[in-house]
Amino acid sequence: MTLLETENLVKEFGGLVATDDVNLTVEEDERVSIIGPNGAGKSTLINLITRRLDPTSGDIRFKGESIVGLEPHQVVQRGVSKSFQTASIFPDLTVRENAEIAALAAERGAFGFEFLKHRDSLTDVHGVARDTLDSVGLLDRADTIATDLPYGDKRRLEIGIALASEPDLLLMDEPTAGMSPEETKSTVDLIERVKRDHGLTFVLVEHDMEIVFSISDRIVVLSRGGIIAEGTPDEIRGNEAVQEAYLGGVEL
Amino acid sequence: MSEKDANPSAKDALVGGTLFGRWEKLRGREGTVVGITAILVAVFPYLFARAPVVSGFLQGYQSLATLILIWGIFAIGFDLLLGYTGLLSFGHAAFWGGAAYAAGIVAKNVSGDPIVMVVSGTLFAVLLAWVLGFLSLRRGGIYFSILTLAFAQMFYYMAASPLAFLTNGENGLTGVEVGSFLGVIHLEADVPSIGGMLLGTWLYAFVGVFFVGAVAVAYRILNSPYGMVFRAIRENEQRAEFVGLNVWRYKLMAFIISGGFAGVAGSLFTIHGAYVPLQSLFWTESGDIVVMTVLGGAGSMFGPVLGVGLYLYIENIVSTIQALTIPFTGIVLVRDFGFYWHLLLGVVFVVVVWVVPDGLWGILNRLRELAVDLGSKAAKRLRARSENGGGGQ
Repeated sequence: MTLLETENLVKEFGGLVATDDVNLTVEEDERVSIIGPNGAGKSTLINLITRRLDPTSGDIRFKGESIVGLEPHQVVQRGVSKSFQTASIFPDLTVRENAEIAALAAERGAFGFEFLKHRDSLTDVHGVARDTLDSVGLLDRADTIATDLPYGDKRRLEIGIALASEPDLLLMDEPTAGMSPEETKSTVDLIERVKRDHGLTFVLVEHDMEIVFSISDRIVVLSRGGIIAEGTPDEIRGNEAVQEAYLGGVEL
Repeated sequence: MSEKDANPSAKDALVGGTLFGRWEKLRGREGTVVGITAILVAVFPYLFARAPVVSGFLQGYQSLATLILIWGIFAIGFDLLLGYTGLLSFGHAAFWGGAAYAAGIVAKNVSGDPIVMVVSGTLFAVLLAWVLGFLSLRRGGIYFSILTLAFAQMFYYMAASPLAFLTNGENGLTGVEVGSFLGVIHLEADVPSIGGMLLGTWLYAFVGVFFVGAVAVAYRILNSPYGMVFRAIRENEQRAEFVGLNVWRYKLMAFIISGGFAGVAGSLFTIHGAYVPLQSLFWTESGDIVVMTVLGGAGSMFGPVLGVGLYLYIENIVSTIQALTIPFTGIVLVRDFGFYWHLLLGVVFVVVVWVVPDGLWGILNRLRELAVDLGSKAAKRLRARSENGGGGQ
C-alpha cells in the first residue's frame, strides 16, 4: 500500500524554486533515504510534508487522503511524525515528561478537556512513554531533567519523542548531525532496532552516506529541488547523474 | 536532588531524618497541600491582625488580610498563564475589573446574594476571556501582550463614558449592597467564639473558602494533562505542535482558565469593598498583577501569593509609616518614609528579580534545600558518633 505520495509538488521562495515538481511515493514498510548536495531542497521537502510550509502547487497524500490544508498537529494525528535536525526537546521537563507529552497526543488526541483529571490516572500514556524510553535506551534516565542530558542522549530523546507519537511514517531529518562517531553508531543501531521492532516506515534525510547505504531500501536523490535519480542503494551507487550532482567529488 | 538527600534509609530512624523524609513524601500530595493551605488561611488573619506581639510588629488589619487572599486568587490564576504557559498578558484588568463590574451591576439590579455575585462575575470574565483570547492569541510574543493591553484599555474607556449609565463612569460603581450569605449570615459580622478570634469576619471566611478552592483547582490543573501541556508549550511551542497537540486551543484554554480565576477574584473584590472603582479596569491593575507574580516567583504555585502579600503590605502598611526611626531610639532616618513606598517597592522588585529570578518562592526553596542538606549532614554525624560509641564499649 502507498503510504505517502507527493504529486507535482512545487515550492517557490520568491524566485527560487526549492522544490521542483517532485513526485515521491513511499510504500508501507519501506525505508527511503533522501540525499542530495547542500541546498538540494531536502529539508524543504520534509517541511512541506509536515505542513510546516505551504506548497506553491501540487498535492501531498497520506494513506490516500490529501493533507494539504491540514494544520501540523493534524498531520501528526494522521500518523506522520518528525524528528528534528536539532534536539528539539522540552528542556526543563524530565525525560519521562518529554515522552509523555508525545504519548498524550497519540493516546488522547490533539485536544481534550481533562484539566481536572489527575495525570497519574493516564495509565495508557504512561505505558507508551515507558515503552518508548525503553526502546531508545533512556528508561534509566527517565527522571533526569532533559536539559542535563549529554548531546547524544538529547538526540535519542528527540527520536524518542517522535516515536512516542506512535507514527505510521517517521520522517528523520539528519538524525546523526553533529554527533561523535560513537554517538552516530549507537543512533544507527537505534534506528536499526526501531526498524526491526516497530516495523516502522521511515524517510531519512542524511548526509552520512555510510548510514544511508546501510539502512535504506530505496534512495531518492535530490538536486536543485528536483529528483534526479531514484533506486536501490546498488543502483544509486553506479548512477552517473548522482556522481555529477555531487560534482566529481565523492566516490559513492 | 533534594529528594535523594531526604530519603534516608531505615537506619536513620533515630534522627530527624525520617520525619523529614516522611514530610518530603507528603509534601507533594494534593490533600496535604490543600490541608496546609486551609490551616494557613485560618491562622493568617489572627497572626496578621490580632495576635499579641506579632501583629503589633506587623501592624496588619483584618480587611487587608481579606484583600491579600482576593488578589492571591487573581495571582494564582495569572501565573497559570504567565509562569506555566509562558504567555504574558497585559490585559488581565479586563477580567478583574469586568467581573467586579458585572458582580456589582448584578447586585444592584438582580440580586445581592454573594454567591450569585461571584457566579455572574466569573461567568462574565470567562466569556470575555474566551473572546479576547480568541482575538489576541492569533499573535505571539510581544504582539499578544500589546493586543491584550489594547483590548483591556478599550474596556476602561468604554466603562468611563459610553457605558456610564451602567458603570457610573468616573465615580465608580457606588451603592452596591451585598446581601447576606444564604439569607442569614451578614458578611461584615464577626464569626462567633474561637472562629472569630482566628478568622475575624464572615467575609474573610467566605473569601478564604474561595481561596482554598482556588488552590485546590489550580493544583489539580497543574497535575492534570493540562499542566504538562502548558509547560511543554512554554518550553517549546513548535515541538508541542509537532507531537500532535493543538497548541492554539490549549493556549486559549490557559487564557480562559486564568480569566476565570481573575473573575472569581474580581467579584470578591466587589463584595469586599461594596464598590467598584473605575481604576479596576485601568492598565495599572494589569501591571500590578504582573509585578506581584514575578516578585513572588512565576512558575510556582504559591510564590505569586507571597508576591501579592509583600506588594499589598508595602502599599497599605509601609506607606503609612510617618518617619523611619532606628528601633528603640528616637533617631529619625527618613521623614515621610511612607511617601516613598512606590520607590521602595521598585527597589525590592529590582533586587529580588536581579538576585533571585525565581522570586520570593525561589528564596524559600533555597532555604529549604539548605535545611535538608544540613539535616542530612547532622544525621550522618550523629550516626557516626553512635557507631563510634558502640565500638568503644
